Amino acid sequence: MSGAGRVPAQIGIVVAIFLIWEVVVQTGVANPRIVPPPSQVLPTAIAMLGDTQVLYHLWITSAQVMLAFVLVAPIGVAIGLLLGESDYFGRAFKPFFYFVASVPKSVFLPVFILAFGIGFTQKVAFGMFQAIFVLVISAIAAADSVSADYLKMARAYGASRRQIYKDIYLPAMLPVIVEGLRLGMIFNITGVLFAEMYVSRAGLGHLVSNWGMSFEMVNLFAGILLAAVLSIAVNETLRWYETRVGSWRG
Amino acid sequence: MARLTVVAEERDRAGGDANLQVDGVTHLFETVDGPLMAVTDVSFTVEEGTFVGLVGPSGCGKSSLLQMMAGLLNPTEGRILIGADEIREPKPAEIGVVFQESSLLPWKTARENVEFPLYLRGVDRAQREKAALEMLDLVGLGEFAERRPHELSGGMKQRVAIARGFCQDPSILLMDEPFAALDEQTRMTLGDELLQIWDRHKKTVVFVTHSLTEAVYLCDKVLVMSARPGRILKEIVITLPRPRTYEMMATETFGRLRAEIWELIRGKDRP
Repeated sequence: MSGAGRVPAQIGIVVAIFLIWEVVVQTGVANPRIVPPPSQVLPTAIAMLGDTQVLYHLWITSAQVMLAFVLVAPIGVAIGLLLGESDYFGRAFKPFFYFVASVPKSVFLPVFILAFGIGFTQKVAFGMFQAIFVLVISAIAAADSVSADYLKMARAYGASRRQIYKDIYLPAMLPVIVEGLRLGMIFNITGVLFAEMYVSRAGLGHLVSNWGMSFEMVNLFAGILLAAVLSIAVNETLRWYETRVGSWRG
Repeated sequence: MARLTVVAEERDRAGGDANLQVDGVTHLFETVDGPLMAVTDVSFTVEEGTFVGLVGPSGCGKSSLLQMMAGLLNPTEGRILIGADEIREPKPAEIGVVFQESSLLPWKTARENVEFPLYLRGVDRAQREKAALEMLDLVGLGEFAERRPHELSGGMKQRVAIARGFCQDPSILLMDEPFAALDEQTRMTLGDELLQIWDRHKKTVVFVTHSLTEAVYLCDKVLVMSARPGRILKEIVITLPRPRTYEMMATETFGRLRAEIWELIRGKDRP
């Protein structure tokens, strides 16, 4: 489908989902006490964006997510590149990352509460922990994706070590690294929200968890909607960048 | 031509006499099972301006030999000389290398790939672009200058790789199985085009290939190597006149030369 035809179709799908949701609730197929209609949820979600109380919680969550990301991204990428490029470290530590990556990180949450308490620090630490494995693994893949043919060619044409890093390694690895950052961000957001929902005093996860337990279904759905929209916005921004730096992958 | 002035100073330093001389070269690879002899006591001379082929069974060390000539590997014993200069590291101004198309940088356009060697040496942008476009025109890809490799066919990509090898106007061109990934037709066409360019620019060419037909068709002299550890079994002078034409492939001389090479390569392995 052409780019021009795609956007209306995509908007159409979103509108259709909301319409079906509304109809299903209004006709009584779904119980409105459990699933409130979008005609109530959407205005509530928009009103929340003007509510200083909700904005405070949103800000806490955003700050935790951003700080965790800023801290974990360079660490994860650096470890991955080291393991990808160094024979010795790669052979010694790659299996560790591959194995632990498959363990659900959520079972470690109680350990993080004991170690860091239930505040800001613990959320950041748990977000980092969720994200680091996918970052390391994708950085290993990025290092592996640099073809030996490029390096041989560059050396034959007299490239210096600095030129090889700047003009071969960096552009070759960038799309894979950005893809890893995007996946890491998804895991990071999941980790922070999950930790907030488990036990916390602030944040979007805290609100959503409380609304659920006190049966405030309209607020709960509005909160879910906000979390979804924010995550999608972050993900799509990174994806846009990924496509831009990786257009040559054809 | 701008391209020529770019490298003029290096050319002067290199001196006029530029025979490529491989002198008693042995190369050992260190492997987990101990040292592995890739080539042993190889000597030959490639006269300036000639087109020389290097053939042999796979794994005979012909690629190692080419890498040593490119300065990417150093011989364990022996020396490789251009004129009086020993090659111990890459000398991109004098030695151009044409790799297979897989060595093109996929994030760069055809033009940027061709000018990459000049870019590495800090040649300014306008001069680089001019030289690259000139070379792309020469290989018939002028209108594809701003395309990325994934938008080009295999043959076109190989032309870009050839243009990149010629771009700095080196006096010696090393070609490492450049057409191996191409189909027979494209391979023959490119071989012909390569001969035309070579005829006009008269460079010294060392051409590694596993196609015997290609070797006889293109070369003045073919060096036949043995299975590992690689040695030169024989230097075969290709007596066919130039310019070469397709009709020559049907001649008795062509068949005899090709058969002679085949006998040499095959003979040592089989009872």
